[in-house]
Amino acid sequence: MSSHREAPGISKDPVADNTDTYAFVTPNNTVTIITNYLPVEAPAGGPNFYEFGSDVTYQINIDNDGDGRADVTYQFTFETLTTNPNTFLYNTGTIDRLDSPNWNRRQRYTVTKITENGRRKTLARRVPCPPCNIGPRSTPNYAALADAAVTRLPDGERVFAGQRAEGFFVDLGSVFDLATLRPFQSLHLIPTANAAGVDALAQANVHTIAIEVPIPKVTKRGRVPTDPMDRSSTIGVWGAAYRQRATLRGFDPDGNTFEGGGAVGPWIQVSRLGNPLFNEVIVPLARKDEWNAKLPHRDSGFARFVAQPELAKLLPALYPGVFPNLAGLTADRADLLAILLTGIPPGLIDGFQNFTGDTQADLLRLNLAIPPSASPNRLGLLGGDLAGFPNGRRVSDDVVTIELRAVAGATYPLVDSTFTPDAAVVGDNAIEDGTFNNPGRTFLDRFPYLGVPYSGYEVPAA
Amino acid sequence: MEAVNRRSFLIKGSVGAVGAAGVVAGGLKLSQAGDEPEAGLSSGELSELPGPVLLSVRDAATGEVEVLVDEREVVFTDRALVAKVLRAAR
Repeated sequence: MSSHREAPGISKDPVADNTDTYAFVTPNNTVTIITNYLPVEAPAGGPNFYEFGSDVTYQINIDNDGDGRADVTYQFTFETLTTNPNTFLYNTGTIDRLDSPNWNRRQRYTVTKITENGRRKTLARRVPCPPCNIGPRSTPNYAALADAAVTRLPDGERVFAGQRAEGFFVDLGSVFDLATLRPFQSLHLIPTANAAGVDALAQANVHTIAIEVPIPKVTKRGRVPTDPMDRSSTIGVWGAAYRQRATLRGFDPDGNTFEGGGAVGPWIQVSRLGNPLFNEVIVPLARKDEWNAKLPHRDSGFARFVAQPELAKLLPALYPGVFPNLAGLTADRADLLAILLTGIPPGLIDGFQNFTGDTQADLLRLNLAIPPSASPNRLGLLGGDLAGFPNGRRVSDDVVTIELRAVAGATYPLVDSTFTPDAAVVGDNAIEDGTFNNPGRTFLDRFPYLGVPYSGYEVPAA
Repeated sequence: MEAVNRRSFLIKGSVGAVGAAGVVAGGLKLSQAGDEPEAGLSSGELSELPGPVLLSVRDAATGEVEVLVDEREVVFTDRALVAKVLRAAR
Protein backbone atom coordinates (compact mmCIF):
# COMPACT_ATOMS: atom_id res chain seq x y z
CA MET A 1 0.00 0.00 0.00
CA SER A 2 1.08 3.60 -0.33
CA SER A 3 2.48 3.52 3.18
CA HIS A 4 0.02 1.56 5.25
CA ARG A 5 1.86 -0.59 7.78
CA GLU A 6 4.80 -0.44 5.40
CA ALA A 7 7.60 -0.89 7.94
CA PRO A 8 7.94 -3.36 10.80
CA GLY A 9 8.16 -0.71 13.50
CA ILE A 10 5.38 1.64 12.47
CA SER A 11 3.05 -1.24 11.62
CA LYS A 12 2.66 -1.67 15.38
CA ASP A 13 1.86 2.01 15.95
CA PRO A 14 -1.18 2.84 13.79
CA VAL A 15 -1.97 6.28 15.21
CA ALA A 16 1.45 7.50 14.10
CA ASP A 17 1.49 5.63 10.78
CA ASN A 18 1.36 8.12 7.92
CA THR A 19 -0.45 6.25 5.15
CA ASP A 20 -0.72 8.81 2.35
CA THR A 21 0.25 12.37 1.59
CA TYR A 22 -1.46 14.47 -1.06
CA ALA A 23 -0.65 17.97 -2.32
CA PHE A 24 -2.42 19.75 -5.16
CA VAL A 25 -3.30 23.22 -6.32
CA THR A 26 -6.86 24.20 -5.47
CA PRO A 27 -9.08 27.15 -6.41
CA ASN A 28 -8.52 30.73 -5.30
CA ASN A 29 -4.72 30.46 -5.33
CA THR A 30 -4.59 27.86 -2.60
CA VAL A 31 -2.78 24.59 -2.16
CA THR A 32 -4.35 21.70 -0.29
CA ILE A 33 -2.18 19.25 1.59
CA ILE A 34 -3.60 16.09 3.12
CA THR A 35 -1.88 13.55 5.33
CA ASN A 36 -3.60 10.37 6.47
CA TYR A 37 -3.01 8.16 9.49
CA LEU A 38 -4.50 5.01 11.05
CA PRO A 39 -4.35 2.53 8.18
CA VAL A 40 -7.18 0.19 7.25
CA GLU A 41 -9.74 1.32 9.80
CA ALA A 42 -12.63 -1.11 9.99
CA PRO A 43 -15.69 1.17 10.08
CA ALA A 44 -17.25 -0.95 12.84
CA GLY A 45 -14.56 0.15 15.25
CA GLY A 46 -16.56 0.28 18.47
CA PRO A 47 -16.56 0.50 21.34
CA ASN A 48 -13.25 2.34 21.08
CA PHE A 49 -13.61 4.13 17.80
CA TYR A 50 -10.48 5.37 16.08
CA GLU A 51 -8.79 8.60 17.09
CA PHE A 52 -5.54 10.49 16.71
CA GLY A 53 -2.76 9.99 19.24
CA SER A 54 -2.75 12.67 21.88
CA ASP A 55 0.87 11.68 22.54
CA VAL A 56 1.85 12.11 18.90
CA THR A 57 2.88 15.31 17.12
CA TYR A 58 1.74 15.43 13.50
CA GLN A 59 3.36 17.73 10.98
CA ILE A 60 2.91 18.83 7.41
CA ASN A 61 6.35 19.93 6.29
CA ILE A 62 7.06 22.16 3.30
CA ASP A 63 10.47 22.78 1.72
CA ASN A 64 10.48 25.83 -0.56
CA ASP A 65 14.20 26.23 -1.27
CA GLY A 66 15.27 22.77 -2.35
CA ASP A 67 17.43 21.74 0.58
CA GLY A 68 15.14 18.95 1.74
CA ARG A 69 14.49 20.70 5.04
CA ALA A 70 11.24 22.22 6.21
CA ASP A 71 10.84 25.96 5.71
CA VAL A 72 7.17 26.06 6.65
CA THR A 73 5.58 23.52 8.98
CA TYR A 74 2.02 23.13 10.12
CA GLN A 75 1.95 21.18 13.36
CA PHE A 76 -1.14 19.47 14.76
CA THR A 77 -1.41 18.22 18.35
CA PHE A 78 -4.49 16.61 19.82
CA GLU A 79 -6.13 16.32 23.18
CA THR A 80 -8.71 13.72 24.04
CA LEU A 81 -11.63 14.34 26.36
CA THR A 82 -13.83 11.80 28.11
CA THR A 83 -16.84 13.79 29.25
CA ASN A 84 -18.86 11.08 31.01
CA PRO A 85 -16.86 8.89 33.39
CA ASN A 86 -19.81 6.62 34.11
CA THR A 87 -20.45 4.97 30.76
CA PHE A 88 -18.64 2.44 28.63
CA LEU A 89 -20.14 4.00 25.51
CA TYR A 90 -18.62 6.31 22.92
CA ASN A 91 -21.95 8.08 22.79
CA THR A 92 -25.10 7.84 24.88
CA GLY A 93 -27.48 9.23 22.27
CA THR A 94 -27.54 10.83 18.87
CA ILE A 95 -24.59 13.09 18.07
CA ASP A 96 -26.21 15.87 16.07
CA ARG A 97 -23.66 18.60 16.64
CA LEU A 98 -20.00 18.89 17.58
CA ASP A 99 -20.81 20.00 21.13
CA SER A 100 -23.44 17.33 21.69
CA PRO A 101 -23.59 16.24 25.34
CA ASN A 102 -24.29 12.70 24.10
CA TRP A 103 -20.75 12.39 22.74
CA ASN A 104 -18.49 10.95 25.40
CA ARG A 105 -15.10 10.58 23.73
CA ARG A 106 -14.02 13.51 21.64
CA GLN A 107 -10.86 15.17 20.36
CA ARG A 108 -9.78 18.71 19.62
CA TYR A 109 -6.51 20.05 18.39
CA THR A 110 -4.05 22.92 18.24
CA VAL A 111 -2.56 24.15 14.98
CA THR A 112 0.87 25.74 15.14
CA LYS A 113 2.84 27.20 12.26
CA ILE A 114 6.62 26.95 12.42
CA THR A 115 8.78 28.91 10.03
CA GLU A 116 12.37 28.43 8.96
CA ASN A 117 14.00 30.17 11.88
CA GLY A 118 12.02 28.09 14.32
CA ARG A 119 9.51 30.82 15.05
CA ARG A 120 6.26 29.33 16.27
CA LYS A 121 2.83 30.84 15.93
CA THR A 122 -0.25 29.18 17.34
CA LEU A 123 -2.93 29.57 14.70
CA ALA A 124 -5.81 28.00 16.61
CA ARG A 125 -6.57 26.08 19.77
CA ARG A 126 -9.37 23.69 20.66
CA VAL A 127 -10.40 23.07 17.05
CA PRO A 128 -12.99 20.27 17.13
CA CYS A 129 -12.67 16.95 15.34
CA PRO A 130 -15.87 15.27 14.17
CA PRO A 131 -16.81 11.92 15.70
CA CYS A 132 -16.30 8.70 13.80
CA ASN A 133 -19.17 7.66 11.55
CA ILE A 134 -21.00 5.16 13.73
CA GLY A 135 -24.39 4.59 12.17
CA PRO A 136 -27.82 6.04 11.42
CA ARG A 137 -28.88 6.31 15.05
CA SER A 138 -25.71 7.75 16.49
CA THR A 139 -24.54 9.94 13.60
CA PRO A 140 -27.59 10.24 11.32
CA ASN A 141 -26.44 13.31 9.38
CA TYR A 142 -22.78 12.57 9.27
CA ALA A 143 -21.78 14.60 6.21
CA ALA A 144 -23.12 17.83 7.72
CA LEU A 145 -21.63 16.98 11.11
CA ALA A 146 -18.19 16.55 9.55
CA ASP A 147 -18.60 19.68 7.42
CA ALA A 148 -19.04 21.63 10.63
CA ALA A 149 -15.55 20.55 11.62
CA VAL A 150 -13.99 22.35 8.64
CA THR A 151 -12.50 25.37 10.32
CA ARG A 152 -11.26 28.63 8.87
CA LEU A 153 -8.21 29.97 10.69
CA PRO A 154 -7.60 33.68 11.26
CA ASP A 155 -4.58 33.69 8.92
CA GLY A 156 -6.60 32.36 5.97
CA GLU A 157 -5.93 28.63 6.16
CA ARG A 158 -8.72 26.06 6.43
CA VAL A 159 -8.21 22.87 8.40
CA PHE A 160 -9.94 19.58 8.99
CA ALA A 161 -8.88 16.66 11.17
CA GLY A 162 -11.00 13.56 11.51
CA GLN A 163 -12.22 10.36 9.93
CA ARG A 164 -12.58 10.07 6.15
CA ALA A 165 -13.16 7.33 3.62
CA GLU A 166 -9.90 5.84 2.38
CA GLY A 167 -8.98 7.39 -0.95
CA PHE A 168 -6.08 5.14 -1.82
CA PHE A 169 -6.82 2.03 -3.85
CA VAL A 170 -4.75 -1.04 -4.52
CA ASP A 171 -5.16 -4.77 -4.99
CA LEU A 172 -3.16 -5.52 -1.89
CA GLY A 173 -4.11 -9.17 -1.82
CA SER A 174 -2.61 -9.81 -5.21
CA VAL A 175 0.37 -7.49 -5.44
CA PHE A 176 1.98 -8.99 -2.38
CA ASP A 177 1.28 -12.47 -3.68
CA LEU A 178 4.41 -12.44 -5.82
CA ALA A 179 3.49 -9.22 -7.64
CA THR A 180 0.35 -10.65 -9.16
CA LEU A 181 -1.70 -8.27 -11.28
CA ARG A 182 -5.05 -10.01 -11.58
CA PRO A 183 -5.95 -8.55 -15.01
CA PHE A 184 -2.69 -9.99 -16.37
CA GLN A 185 -2.14 -12.99 -14.15
CA SER A 186 -2.36 -15.46 -17.03
CA LEU A 187 1.10 -14.14 -17.95
CA HIS A 188 2.51 -14.73 -14.45
CA LEU A 189 5.16 -17.33 -13.77
CA ILE A 190 2.44 -19.15 -11.82
CA PRO A 191 -0.49 -18.47 -14.12
CA THR A 192 -4.19 -18.38 -13.45
CA ALA A 193 -7.05 -17.00 -15.48
CA ASN A 194 -7.18 -13.22 -15.74
CA ALA A 195 -9.58 -11.50 -13.37
CA ALA A 196 -10.69 -8.06 -12.31
CA GLY A 197 -8.66 -6.26 -9.67
CA VAL A 198 -9.90 -6.25 -6.09
CA ASP A 199 -9.46 -3.04 -4.09
CA ALA A 200 -8.41 -4.20 -0.64
CA LEU A 201 -9.23 -0.76 0.84
CA ALA A 202 -12.61 -0.39 -0.82
CA GLN A 203 -14.55 0.05 2.43
CA ALA A 204 -11.89 1.17 4.86
CA ASN A 205 -11.55 4.51 6.61
CA VAL A 206 -8.56 6.58 7.66
CA HIS A 207 -7.95 9.60 9.84
CA THR A 208 -7.14 12.71 7.85
CA ILE A 209 -5.30 15.91 8.66
CA ALA A 210 -5.97 18.38 5.86
CA ILE A 211 -5.05 22.00 5.37
CA GLU A 212 -5.84 24.47 2.61
CA VAL A 213 -3.24 27.21 2.52
CA PRO A 214 -3.05 30.42 0.49
CA ILE A 215 -0.13 29.76 -1.85
CA PRO A 216 1.88 32.87 -0.87
CA LYS A 217 2.18 31.43 2.63
CA VAL A 218 4.23 28.46 1.44
CA THR A 219 6.46 29.92 -1.27
CA LYS A 220 9.89 31.35 -0.73
CA ARG A 221 9.02 34.66 -2.37
CA GLY A 222 5.63 34.95 -0.73
CA ARG A 223 3.84 35.15 -4.08
CA VAL A 224 1.68 33.00 -6.30
CA PRO A 225 4.06 31.52 -8.88
CA THR A 226 3.04 31.98 -12.51
CA ASP A 227 6.05 30.61 -14.42
CA PRO A 228 6.20 26.81 -14.35
CA MET A 229 9.83 26.90 -15.47
CA ASP A 230 10.95 29.00 -12.52
CA ARG A 231 12.57 26.70 -9.98
CA SER A 232 11.05 28.62 -7.09
CA SER A 233 7.59 27.61 -8.32
CA THR A 234 8.03 24.14 -6.84
CA ILE A 235 7.62 23.13 -3.23
CA GLY A 236 8.43 19.79 -1.63
CA VAL A 237 5.94 18.33 0.82
CA TRP A 238 6.03 15.50 3.32
CA GLY A 239 3.95 14.44 6.26
CA ALA A 240 5.52 13.10 9.42
CA ALA A 241 4.64 11.94 12.90
CA TYR A 242 6.79 12.24 15.99
CA ARG A 243 6.86 10.60 19.40
CA GLN A 244 8.90 11.42 22.46
CA ARG A 245 11.94 9.22 23.00
CA ALA A 246 10.54 7.19 25.88
CA THR A 247 7.21 6.26 27.40
CA LEU A 248 6.97 5.22 31.03
CA ARG A 249 3.94 3.16 31.90
CA GLY A 250 2.31 4.67 34.96
CA PHE A 251 1.78 1.30 36.65
CA ASP A 252 4.14 -0.93 38.55
CA PRO A 253 4.14 -4.74 38.06
CA ASP A 254 1.42 -5.07 40.71
CA GLY A 255 -0.86 -2.71 38.84
CA ASN A 256 -0.41 0.17 41.23
CA THR A 257 -0.26 3.63 39.72
CA PHE A 258 2.72 5.80 40.53
CA GLU A 259 3.79 9.31 39.93
CA GLY A 260 6.03 9.83 36.94
CA GLY A 261 4.32 7.91 34.12
CA GLY A 262 4.10 9.45 30.69
CA ALA A 263 6.20 10.34 27.69
CA VAL A 264 9.52 12.08 28.08
CA GLY A 265 12.41 13.30 25.98
CA PRO A 266 12.83 15.02 22.64
CA TRP A 267 10.45 14.35 19.79
CA ILE A 268 11.65 11.68 17.35
CA GLN A 269 10.33 11.14 13.85
CA VAL A 270 8.65 7.73 13.66
CA SER A 271 6.86 7.93 10.32
CA ARG A 272 7.04 10.05 7.19
CA LEU A 273 5.72 10.10 3.66
CA GLY A 274 6.45 12.14 0.57
CA ASN A 275 6.07 10.10 -2.58
CA PRO A 276 3.62 7.22 -2.34
CA LEU A 277 5.12 3.75 -2.14
CA PHE A 278 8.71 4.96 -1.61
CA ASN A 279 9.27 3.13 1.65
CA GLU A 280 6.81 0.42 0.69
CA VAL A 281 8.33 -0.68 -2.60
CA ILE A 282 11.78 0.92 -2.93
CA VAL A 283 13.41 0.58 0.50
CA PRO A 284 14.49 -2.91 1.60
CA LEU A 285 12.58 -4.37 4.53
CA ALA A 286 15.65 -4.34 6.74
CA ARG A 287 16.00 -0.56 6.39
CA LYS A 288 12.37 0.60 6.43
CA ASP A 289 12.37 1.57 10.10
CA GLU A 290 15.58 3.51 9.58
CA TRP A 291 14.03 5.33 6.65
CA ASN A 292 11.04 6.35 8.74
CA ALA A 293 13.38 7.86 11.33
CA LYS A 294 15.64 9.65 8.85
CA LEU A 295 15.02 13.21 7.74
CA PRO A 296 14.45 13.64 3.99
CA HIS A 297 17.59 15.69 3.35
CA ARG A 298 19.58 12.58 4.25
CA ASP A 299 17.91 10.37 1.64
CA SER A 300 20.98 10.09 -0.60
CA GLY A 301 21.80 6.94 1.35
CA PHE A 302 18.73 5.33 -0.19
CA ALA A 303 19.35 6.52 -3.75
CA ARG A 304 20.89 3.24 -4.86
CA PHE A 305 17.59 1.49 -4.22
CA VAL A 306 15.92 3.98 -6.53
CA ALA A 307 18.64 3.68 -9.15
CA GLN A 308 18.37 -0.10 -9.20
CA PRO A 309 14.84 -0.85 -8.00
CA GLU A 310 14.21 -4.42 -6.96
CA LEU A 311 10.78 -4.44 -8.57
CA ALA A 312 12.30 -3.72 -12.00
CA LYS A 313 14.25 -6.96 -11.69
CA LEU A 314 11.34 -8.97 -10.35
CA LEU A 315 8.90 -8.11 -13.13
CA PRO A 316 10.84 -9.82 -15.96
CA ALA A 317 11.37 -12.87 -13.77
CA LEU A 318 7.75 -13.16 -12.65
CA TYR A 319 6.25 -12.39 -16.07
CA PRO A 320 8.44 -14.40 -18.46
CA GLY A 321 8.78 -12.83 -21.87
CA VAL A 322 6.61 -9.81 -21.04
CA PHE A 323 9.37 -7.34 -20.18
CA PRO A 324 12.34 -8.09 -22.46
CA ASN A 325 13.43 -4.47 -22.80
CA LEU A 326 13.18 -3.89 -19.06
CA ALA A 327 15.24 -7.01 -18.48
CA GLY A 328 17.97 -5.54 -20.63
CA LEU A 329 17.95 -2.20 -18.84
CA THR A 330 20.90 -2.34 -16.48
CA ALA A 331 21.83 1.34 -16.26
CA ASP A 332 20.97 3.38 -13.19
CA ARG A 333 17.44 4.69 -13.41
CA ALA A 334 18.04 8.39 -13.84
CA ASP A 335 14.34 8.80 -14.56
CA LEU A 336 13.30 7.44 -11.17
CA LEU A 337 16.05 9.31 -9.35
CA ALA A 338 14.64 12.51 -10.80
CA ILE A 339 10.97 11.71 -10.22
CA LEU A 340 11.43 10.60 -6.62
CA LEU A 341 14.50 12.36 -5.24
CA THR A 342 15.21 15.66 -7.03
CA GLY A 343 12.21 16.47 -9.17
CA ILE A 344 12.06 16.41 -12.96
CA PRO A 345 14.48 18.95 -14.42
CA PRO A 346 13.61 21.30 -17.30
CA GLY A 347 14.00 19.96 -20.81
CA LEU A 348 12.50 16.52 -20.33
CA ILE A 349 8.79 17.37 -20.56
CA ASP A 350 7.59 20.32 -22.62
CA GLY A 351 6.51 23.21 -20.42
CA PHE A 352 7.14 21.39 -17.20
CA GLN A 353 9.66 20.87 -14.45
CA ASN A 354 9.48 20.34 -10.72
CA PHE A 355 13.19 20.20 -10.06
CA THR A 356 14.22 21.44 -6.65
CA GLY A 357 18.01 21.05 -6.90
CA ASP A 358 20.66 18.44 -6.34
CA THR A 359 19.69 17.51 -2.79
CA GLN A 360 18.23 14.03 -2.94
CA ALA A 361 15.15 13.88 -0.76
CA ASP A 362 11.92 11.94 -0.96
CA LEU A 363 9.49 14.84 -1.22
CA LEU A 364 6.17 15.15 -2.96
CA ARG A 365 7.12 17.94 -5.35
CA LEU A 366 4.42 20.27 -6.57
CA ASN A 367 4.89 22.98 -9.17
CA LEU A 368 2.45 25.60 -7.96
CA ALA A 369 2.43 27.43 -11.29
CA ILE A 370 0.64 24.52 -12.95
CA PRO A 371 -3.11 25.20 -12.60
CA PRO A 372 -5.57 22.45 -11.71
CA SER A 373 -6.66 20.33 -14.66
CA ALA A 374 -10.20 20.76 -15.95
CA SER A 375 -10.33 17.06 -16.79
CA PRO A 376 -7.89 15.16 -14.57
CA ASN A 377 -6.23 12.09 -16.02
CA ARG A 378 -5.77 9.30 -13.47
CA LEU A 379 -2.27 8.68 -14.82
CA GLY A 380 -1.09 12.23 -14.13
CA LEU A 381 2.09 13.07 -16.01
CA LEU A 382 2.07 9.65 -17.68
CA GLY A 383 -1.33 10.57 -19.11
CA GLY A 384 -0.19 14.02 -20.22
CA ASP A 385 -1.84 15.78 -17.28
CA LEU A 386 0.75 18.13 -15.79
CA ALA A 387 -1.38 18.73 -12.69
CA GLY A 388 -1.20 15.14 -11.51
CA PHE A 389 1.31 12.84 -9.87
CA PRO A 390 4.28 13.06 -9.78
CA ASN A 391 3.57 16.76 -9.92
CA GLY A 392 2.08 16.69 -6.44
CA ARG A 393 -0.64 14.14 -5.96
CA ARG A 394 -4.41 14.43 -6.19
CA VAL A 395 -6.73 12.19 -4.22
CA SER A 396 -7.88 10.31 -7.34
CA ASP A 397 -4.51 9.80 -9.00
CA ASP A 398 -3.82 6.14 -9.74
CA VAL A 399 -0.39 6.17 -8.16
CA VAL A 400 -0.04 2.39 -8.09
CA THR A 401 -0.39 2.17 -11.85
CA ILE A 402 1.75 5.26 -12.46
CA GLU A 403 4.62 3.97 -10.35
CA LEU A 404 4.26 0.40 -11.61
CA ARG A 405 4.59 1.53 -15.20
CA ALA A 406 7.38 3.98 -14.37
CA VAL A 407 9.44 1.32 -12.62
CA ALA A 408 8.70 -1.03 -15.54
CA GLY A 409 10.38 1.43 -17.89
CA ALA A 410 7.65 3.78 -19.12
CA THR A 411 9.54 6.89 -18.02
CA TYR A 412 13.04 5.82 -18.95
CA PRO A 413 12.80 7.39 -22.45
CA LEU A 414 12.74 10.77 -20.68
CA VAL A 415 16.45 10.31 -20.02
CA ASP A 416 17.38 7.92 -22.87
CA SER A 417 15.50 8.40 -26.12
CA THR A 418 16.98 5.20 -27.54
CA PHE A 419 15.12 3.05 -25.02
CA THR A 420 11.84 1.54 -26.14
CA PRO A 421 9.51 0.57 -23.31
CA ASP A 422 7.96 -2.87 -23.47
CA ALA A 423 4.50 -3.12 -25.00
CA ALA A 424 3.21 -4.11 -21.57
CA VAL A 425 3.78 -0.62 -20.15
CA VAL A 426 2.38 1.59 -22.90
CA GLY A 427 -0.96 1.90 -24.59
CA ASP A 428 -4.50 1.11 -23.59
CA ASN A 429 -3.73 -2.42 -22.43
CA ALA A 430 -0.71 -1.61 -20.30
CA ILE A 431 -0.25 -3.25 -16.93
CA GLU A 432 -2.17 -2.09 -13.88
CA ASP A 433 -3.63 -3.65 -10.79
CA GLY A 434 -7.16 -2.95 -12.01
CA THR A 435 -8.59 -1.15 -8.98
CA PHE A 436 -9.25 2.31 -10.40
CA ASN A 437 -12.81 1.67 -11.53
CA ASN A 438 -14.63 1.30 -8.23
CA PRO A 439 -18.03 3.01 -8.36
CA GLY A 440 -18.30 2.76 -4.59
CA ARG A 441 -15.33 5.05 -4.03
CA THR A 442 -16.31 8.67 -3.74
CA PHE A 443 -14.43 11.90 -3.32
CA LEU A 444 -15.67 15.37 -2.52
CA ASP A 445 -15.31 18.21 -5.01
CA ARG A 446 -14.42 20.51 -2.14
CA PHE A 447 -12.19 20.61 0.90
CA PRO A 448 -11.25 18.19 2.47
CA TYR A 449 -11.77 16.22 -0.79
CA LEU A 450 -11.69 12.72 0.70
CA GLY A 451 -15.13 11.15 0.93
CA VAL A 452 -17.54 10.74 3.82
CA PRO A 453 -16.29 7.81 5.92
CA TYR A 454 -18.12 4.50 5.89
CA SER A 455 -20.28 3.94 8.93
CA GLY A 456 -19.87 0.97 11.18
CA TYR A 457 -23.54 0.10 10.85
CA GLU A 458 -23.42 0.01 7.05
CA VAL A 459 -20.03 -1.70 6.77
CA PRO A 460 -19.92 -4.11 9.68
CA ALA A 461 -16.86 -5.89 8.32
CA ALA A 462 -14.06 -4.27 6.34
CA MET B 1 28.42 -5.62 30.23
CA GLU B 2 26.60 -5.16 26.95
CA ALA B 3 23.23 -6.11 28.41
CA VAL B 4 23.65 -3.82 31.36
CA ASN B 5 24.88 -1.03 29.15
CA ARG B 6 21.51 -0.73 27.45
CA ARG B 7 19.42 -0.89 30.55
CA SER B 8 17.49 2.18 31.48
CA PHE B 9 16.78 3.29 34.99
CA LEU B 10 13.76 5.12 36.04
CA ILE B 11 14.00 7.89 38.52
CA LYS B 12 10.49 8.49 39.67
CA GLY B 13 9.01 11.92 39.85
CA SER B 14 9.15 11.63 43.61
CA VAL B 15 12.86 10.87 43.37
CA GLY B 16 12.95 9.28 46.78
CA ALA B 17 12.58 5.70 45.64
CA VAL B 18 15.67 5.82 43.46
CA GLY B 19 17.37 8.69 45.14
CA ALA B 20 20.79 7.13 44.89
CA ALA B 21 21.18 8.38 41.36
CA GLY B 22 20.66 11.93 42.50
CA VAL B 23 19.88 13.38 39.07
CA VAL B 24 17.54 16.33 38.99
CA ALA B 25 15.84 18.34 36.32
CA GLY B 26 16.92 21.81 35.35
CA GLY B 27 20.60 22.11 36.09
CA LEU B 28 20.93 18.35 36.29
CA LYS B 29 23.23 18.55 39.28
CA LEU B 30 24.76 15.35 40.46
CA SER B 31 24.58 14.58 44.11
CA GLN B 32 27.94 13.95 45.67
CA ALA B 33 26.37 12.68 48.84
CA GLY B 34 25.69 9.09 49.71
CA ASP B 35 22.50 7.14 49.47
CA GLU B 36 20.29 9.47 51.45
CA PRO B 37 17.48 10.51 49.15
CA GLU B 38 16.83 13.66 51.16
CA ALA B 39 20.36 14.83 50.50
CA GLY B 40 19.80 15.44 46.81
CA LEU B 41 16.95 17.86 46.42
CA SER B 42 15.27 20.59 48.31
CA SER B 43 11.49 20.63 48.48
CA GLY B 44 11.51 23.57 46.11
CA GLU B 45 13.54 21.65 43.57
CA LEU B 46 11.24 18.68 43.93
CA SER B 47 8.20 20.78 43.15
CA GLU B 48 9.86 22.02 39.97
CA LEU B 49 10.20 18.58 38.41
CA PRO B 50 8.32 18.77 35.09
CA GLY B 51 7.25 15.13 35.05
CA PRO B 52 9.04 11.86 34.54
CA VAL B 53 12.81 11.89 34.45
CA LEU B 54 14.56 8.98 32.79
CA LEU B 55 18.23 8.16 33.14
CA SER B 56 19.87 5.85 30.64
CA VAL B 57 23.42 4.58 30.75
CA ARG B 58 24.68 5.00 27.20
CA ASP B 59 28.15 3.67 27.74
CA ALA B 60 29.13 2.13 31.05
CA ALA B 61 32.81 2.04 30.15
CA THR B 62 33.08 5.78 29.61
CA GLY B 63 30.41 6.74 32.13
CA GLU B 64 28.23 8.42 29.50
CA VAL B 65 24.75 9.01 30.79
CA GLU B 66 21.67 10.37 29.10
CA VAL B 67 18.84 12.03 30.98
CA LEU B 68 15.46 12.49 29.37
CA VAL B 69 13.39 15.21 30.96
CA ASP B 70 10.38 17.09 29.65
CA GLU B 71 11.03 17.43 25.88
CA ARG B 72 14.82 17.42 26.22
CA GLU B 73 17.75 15.09 26.49
CA VAL B 74 20.94 15.93 28.35
CA VAL B 75 24.10 13.88 27.97
CA PHE B 76 26.95 14.00 30.44
CA THR B 77 29.75 11.81 31.73
CA ASP B 78 30.06 10.61 35.32
CA ARG B 79 31.80 7.27 35.82
CA ALA B 80 31.17 7.28 39.56
CA LEU B 81 27.47 7.79 39.06
CA VAL B 82 27.31 5.01 36.48
CA ALA B 83 29.15 2.67 38.80
CA LYS B 84 26.74 3.47 41.60
CA VAL B 85 23.71 2.94 39.40
CA LEU B 86 24.98 -0.35 38.03
CA ARG B 87 25.80 -1.64 41.50
CA ALA B 88 22.29 -0.75 42.61
CA ALA B 89 20.89 -2.65 39.66
CA ARG B 90 22.62 -5.91 40.53
